Amino acid sequence: MPAKKMSVSSAISISIAGVLLIISLFFPWWGMNFIAPQYPEGLDIVVYPNKLKGDIEIINGLNHYIGMKPFSEESFPELAYLPYLIVSMALFTVVVAFLRKKSWLYALIVVFLIGGALGIYDIHRWLVDFGTNLNDNAPIRIDPFVPPIFGENRIANFTTFSYFTTGSYIVGAAFLCLLFPLWKERRK
Amino acid sequence: MKKKVISALSGLAVGILASTVFFGNFSSQETIPTAAAKTDAEKVYVPFGKKDEYYLFASGGHSGQMFIYGVPSMRRIRTVPVFSLDSATGYGWDKHSKEMLGGYTWGDLHHPAFSETNGEYDGKYMFATDVGNSRAAVMDLKTFTVKDIIQVPNTSGPHCAAFVTENTEYLFLPTRFSVPIGHKYASLDNYSKEYRGVMSAVTLDEKTQKLHIAYQVALPPWSYDLSDAGKKISKDWAVLTTYNTEEATTNLEINASKEDRDFIVLFNWKELEKMVKEGKYDNVGGQKMIFPEKHKGGIYLVPVAKSPHGVDVTPDGKYFIASGKLAPLLTVFSFEKAFKAIKNKEFAGERNGIPILKYESVMEREVNPENALGPLHTQFDEKGMAYTTMFISSEIVKWNPNTGEVLDRVPVQYSPGHAVAAEGDTVSPDGKYLVSLNKLSKDSYLSVGPSHPESMQLIDISGEKMKVIQSVPVDPEPHYGQMIKADKIKTIEVYPKDEKNPDAVYNQKDARIVRKGNEVHVYGIAMRSKFIFDAKAKRPDVIEVNEGDKVVIHITNIDFDEDITHGFAINQYNLNMEIQPGQTNTMEFVADKPGTYPLYCTNFCSALHQEMTGYLLVKPKQ
Repeated sequence: MPAKKMSVSSAISISIAGVLLIISLFFPWWGMNFIAPQYPEGLDIVVYPNKLKGDIEIINGLNHYIGMKPFSEESFPELAYLPYLIVSMALFTVVVAFLRKKSWLYALIVVFLIGGALGIYDIHRWLVDFGTNLNDNAPIRIDPFVPPIFGENRIANFTTFSYFTTGSYIVGAAFLCLLFPLWKERRK
Repeated sequence: MKKKVISALSGLAVGILASTVFFGNFSSQETIPTAAAKTDAEKVYVPFGKKDEYYLFASGGHSGQMFIYGVPSMRRIRTVPVFSLDSATGYGWDKHSKEMLGGYTWGDLHHPAFSETNGEYDGKYMFATDVGNSRAAVMDLKTFTVKDIIQVPNTSGPHCAAFVTENTEYLFLPTRFSVPIGHKYASLDNYSKEYRGVMSAVTLDEKTQKLHIAYQVALPPWSYDLSDAGKKISKDWAVLTTYNTEEATTNLEINASKEDRDFIVLFNWKELEKMVKEGKYDNVGGQKMIFPEKHKGGIYLVPVAKSPHGVDVTPDGKYFIASGKLAPLLTVFSFEKAFKAIKNKEFAGERNGIPILKYESVMEREVNPENALGPLHTQFDEKGMAYTTMFISSEIVKWNPNTGEVLDRVPVQYSPGHAVAAEGDTVSPDGKYLVSLNKLSKDSYLSVGPSHPESMQLIDISGEKMKVIQSVPVDPEPHYGQMIKADKIKTIEVYPKDEKNPDAVYNQKDARIVRKGNEVHVYGIAMRSKFIFDAKAKRPDVIEVNEGDKVVIHITNIDFDEDITHGFAINQYNLNMEIQPGQTNTMEFVADKPGTYPLYCTNFCSALHQEMTGYLLVKPKQ
């Protein structure tokens, strides 16, 4: 049976997914909020696809007490190439929208799922790296720890909250836009 | 199968939506308690987490400092050093403040004044003068730190200051003591001829944050006591009170109280400015000096009951109120009447070459509250009602300047000098609060022996009747205060990075010690909880110099974090300074004592503050 092209509304939905990916570049994807008795207002690490924002210097200053190495944008090579990856994904998505072929859409969804999984694995990898490679010479010695990617944790006087935010939500919405054709084009 | 996937996924989407809603911040609006029927205690109680409605800047008198209070709680928030050394902040030890103080160790801070825009406090700067050592200072309200201090030449004790014009064009500094120009020696027998009461017109350059003397006026050799700038219709004018127009040179208590009348000096600063532009002045020791008897115009005298203290312009700018401090009488003078008399040249002769206006032609009305004695100083509320301190009868009298009617009286403990109302000397006072600055506290507080605190009393002036709602002791000695709405002041908590500052080090790896001949320059950092002076050294927190070296230590506090202040003291070298978050501060000294001197952080910064130490090693000469 020759592959039937997907409907125009499906193509539009896939195009929107592409646009959303580009938009997500301008928003933070993930963050961590630190709260302590002395910091009721909280300290933040906010991660964009291409940069870090928040109270990085203050957090580094405090982290040296437990022997955690300081981090900066230079510590994460991903920040240099992640925007290109996302733009490429967006272009691929737009191409799929033009082709309107289901097989390509399946491929795109698989790439999306793999990309998402890799992203989460990458964050986890860094959390393990920073949480477990603590300098033995630190004034305060604590057991190595791995902050969760999502949710609450407690280290010394700090309670941390990790969370996905705007950029991730936009990507989530993009993914939903890719799923829409599956429902639209379902066999009746 | 696919259907199942889709329903699972749509379920997930709904879940995301639900969680967004769940985590969203939809906190309900805070309920505001009604102000009605509050007790005195409730009126002054500001619970933790809430902040006061007003800042009160109380002059610190001969402590040389400024006290910052919150109103209505009357909590003392901070002491800001201005004219005196303050080891708590290192004021007078770090390079900048040491240079500003110019070797003086104390000052006598009298009448503070905020910078103004259109006659309103703009919350940018605070000015203060030092009667003790004849200086003027400007404080930047972003950091509550003094930026510049100038020595005022030809003047001894600018008590009659500071007052600023409506748009902070000038800060005028008239003097309490007359001296010969240039502070030269001159026999007191020649007082009337050789002594002068010099007034300075000072400007602030906001860019450099420096004060400059624009010109001076060689007023007659009298004492000038208090002053106020005009407002609105009188904005180009200013008024000063005088005493000792008798020109007595000894026992002023008796000899300066002989005549029934002294004068108010009424002058037009726009005219004086014009005269200076036109070259109508003499050059005296580098200053442009106007001599009123020679360079005529712009200055007039208004007779007033003898030995007046305060002179205060009403918020509408139409009247000025003055009174002899020994007399029971308050006099309301009219600017409009004075302008008319000046225009028609209705003068009653001259004193020291300055035309005298007739009392009757400038006086609007006299007010005589029964048994009230010693009127000193007047503030205003939002309706333009006047509040005058009565030093001798120890009370505040509320009265209506437009009718002369006395509205209310409240006793205060004891002997108020000045009072300060919420924005009470601007074109639009707020009313609400008045603080009476009492000279004596006597039995008001737990005794600490013979040296007593002074006393400040908070008075609720929101109603028809005044009510004293709080009393607090205060260190000597608030002469006057300024009360500003808290939201007008915009502070910074951390100094921003200044990449152009050659003394700053923001990366701990760049900390270094540079030797130039017998000078040692340290470019170090302070962070929780260590000093790094030389990042590459075996012991980065040690400074080693030779006896006799000049040592310049620049330290940058690289904790860009609110309230993480570091101190830096060198044991037995009598040195200490503070370094605020993000700030680079400098200390200079000659290492003239050989030996081993521990250095340490004096301002508690962290759990390991006690470990924040190092050494200064001074190698003895061979």
